[in-house]
Amino acid sequence: MAETSAPVASRAVSRPVSEALLNEKWDRCLSNLIIKSTLGLGFGVVFSVLLFKRRAWPAFVGVGFGAGRAYEECNSSLKQAAKEIRKHQA
Amino acid sequence: MLRTSLQSVRALGSRPAAAVVGRQWQVAAPRRAIVSGQRFYSDDKKPAEPAVLPASETLTASSTPPPASPQTVPTSTVSSAQIPPTPPPPPPPPVQPVQPLKKKRGFFARLRRLILTLTLLGAIGFGGGVYYSRINDNFHDFFTEYIPYGEQAVLYFEELDFKKRFPNVANKVTGRTPVVSEQVNVPAQSGASWRVADSGEPAGRQSSAVQKVAAAKEHAKETVKEAVKEVQEAVKAAEPTPAVEKKAKKAKKETAALPKVEAKDAVVAKPVPAAVAEKVDAVVATKTAAAPEQKPWKAPEVDEPSSWPPASPIDHLSVPHATEPVVQNLVRMLNDIIAVINHDGANEKYATTIGKAKNEVAKVGQQIIDIKKNVEKKAAKEMKKRVDVFEKKANQLVTLLEKAMANQEEQWRREFESEMERLKHSYDEKVKLIQERERQLAERKIDNKLLEQAVELQRQFSQDIKKQVEQERDGRLGRLAELSTAVAELEKLTTGWNDVVDTNLRTQQLHVAVEAVRASLENAHHPRPFIKELVALKEIAADDAVVDAAISSIHPSAYQRGISTSAELIDRFRRVASEVRKASLLPEDAGVASHASSYLLSKVMFQKKGLAAGDDVESILARTQTFLEEGDLDNAAREMNGLNGWAKTLSRDWLGEVRKVLEVQQALEVCHPNRGQTSEFKG
Repeated sequence: MAETSAPVASRAVSRPVSEALLNEKWDRCLSNLIIKSTLGLGFGVVFSVLLFKRRAWPAFVGVGFGAGRAYEECNSSLKQAAKEIRKHQA
Repeated sequence: MLRTSLQSVRALGSRPAAAVVGRQWQVAAPRRAIVSGQRFYSDDKKPAEPAVLPASETLTASSTPPPASPQTVPTSTVSSAQIPPTPPPPPPPPVQPVQPLKKKRGFFARLRRLILTLTLLGAIGFGGGVYYSRINDNFHDFFTEYIPYGEQAVLYFEELDFKKRFPNVANKVTGRTPVVSEQVNVPAQSGASWRVADSGEPAGRQSSAVQKVAAAKEHAKETVKEAVKEVQEAVKAAEPTPAVEKKAKKAKKETAALPKVEAKDAVVAKPVPAAVAEKVDAVVATKTAAAPEQKPWKAPEVDEPSSWPPASPIDHLSVPHATEPVVQNLVRMLNDIIAVINHDGANEKYATTIGKAKNEVAKVGQQIIDIKKNVEKKAAKEMKKRVDVFEKKANQLVTLLEKAMANQEEQWRREFESEMERLKHSYDEKVKLIQERERQLAERKIDNKLLEQAVELQRQFSQDIKKQVEQERDGRLGRLAELSTAVAELEKLTTGWNDVVDTNLRTQQLHVAVEAVRASLENAHHPRPFIKELVALKEIAADDAVVDAAISSIHPSAYQRGISTSAELIDRFRRVASEVRKASLLPEDAGVASHASSYLLSKVMFQKKGLAAGDDVESILARTQTFLEEGDLDNAAREMNGLNGWAKTLSRDWLGEVRKVLEVQQALEVCHPNRGQTSEFKG
């Protein structure tokens, strides 16, 4: 089994295998979500400390903004992919 | 004027010393200023400037009267004595009046000069034109035509020249030319008329009678007035004498032809005493008579010495046959003389001589006529002679010409005949030649035809012979040919057997090679390149097109990397299927939410097994798995190809793998020499 996995790994490096395409997208989306949410949280915390007397809601709002942004990007990327697929098959 | 002159003189007289001084100062001042470097001296120039004025005055000196006349010198000295030694301020007023005066005079002078020059130039031009027109003809025409008075001037000068050259002729010519140039008016009643004496009253036509009557009345009145005066004088003088009566009668006769109107008016208008009437008539007659210079002869008074009435004027000569110019001249001359004599009133003196002369002239005329007749007769005779001679000569000439013509005609005819002969000959020759040629041509044609026929006959003959020979030979030769073909077939059979053996060998080799490839593929546990085997196969197959095509149909990556085994394919399919299943519920144009829901829902779906009927992703996957388990790669690939959307994209790589394997299998099958056996062998 070690012999068979080796070429697959090498192939994944050069070009993602077709069955892993969707997973790749999901990975990217999740990472994006985490980063954006964290960024939003950070901004929210800073704002809450600086402007809003350490209230909690600015932090949540920041997280929400980040998550929303990530969601939207993921959505658009998926839709783009779907469009490409359709064009390719048509 | 006098004042200005005085002033100017004074100024001039007094100026020199001061001006010179001033000028020196002027010159000196700037020099000093330059030396000392003091520039404000330039302001001081202004008072010195008036010193220039004399110079300006000298400029106008041409118009001003001369200042240095000897008469004014004493006055200047006096004035200089009166004035202070320092130069007075320059008088500007005298300068100003001078200029406008000069200007005015200048204008008039200029006008006058302009007119003068214009006239002078015109005169010079005219004179030049006249002179040049006498040299150049073209210019003469132009000058006389377009320049007013040019013609007269030129003519005058030409005449002068002419006179200078020919004084003798010029007199005559000039004596006559004015007469010629004068207009000659020929009155309507002038010239000879049928009237014995002309009273100036023409016999008016009926249409213009009224006007003429009026004119005649006027005239008659005047004449009558005069006549009355004379008559009164005459009445005073004396009573009419018989001579007077005679004269009056004669006059009456002469005036008989006068229009009756005048006579009547003359009589009716002034009814005079009967005694005077006749006298009046007589006077009227004498007044209107043609002889104007002839003094009316008055009958001698009683106390006067008796005198003869003037002799009747000599009749003019008239020669019956005055057609000859000489005679005419003579007659005219004589008539002139007679006229002169008549005019002079010396009729009696020369009557006899003139009579003689008349007779002589008449005789001369007669003689001339006689001479003329004689000459005419002679001339006629001469003419007749001459005509005869000419006729004779003409006849001779005609005969000569006829002879010559006849000769020439004869000659031409001869020549013409000879020419005709020659032409005829030549044409005959030509005709003969042509006939000869025609005959030759016809003979040749006939010969050719004969030859053709002979050739045709020969050919036919040879063909006939050939036919017969063939017929005879077919019997034996036909059998020989059959034999040879049979032998050839046998040879072919033997060579074919050799081929069969060769191909057998080759197929065997090929078979071995293909089997080697197959073995290498089937015995492998993981993908492995099989280039060596393929190369061997290709070498063995040599130039087999089928094998070449089969090998070329295999994807290069397949034999370079090798193809995956069926176990591997199945293993990979399981992975692909799980992924596809995750995306099986995706709608078209799916977003994150749909993906997530599809993923979640796919977990709770039941998996199908075996050859499930349906067109959905789950059933397709089930069928594919079944086919794969059966080892039917072809159908499995077909099933997976039926997917679409995300599912198809996810299974793309797996499909590529399966296709490669299938290609290789197909190529090997094609390459196999006896496919039936392989399938059998495989089965």
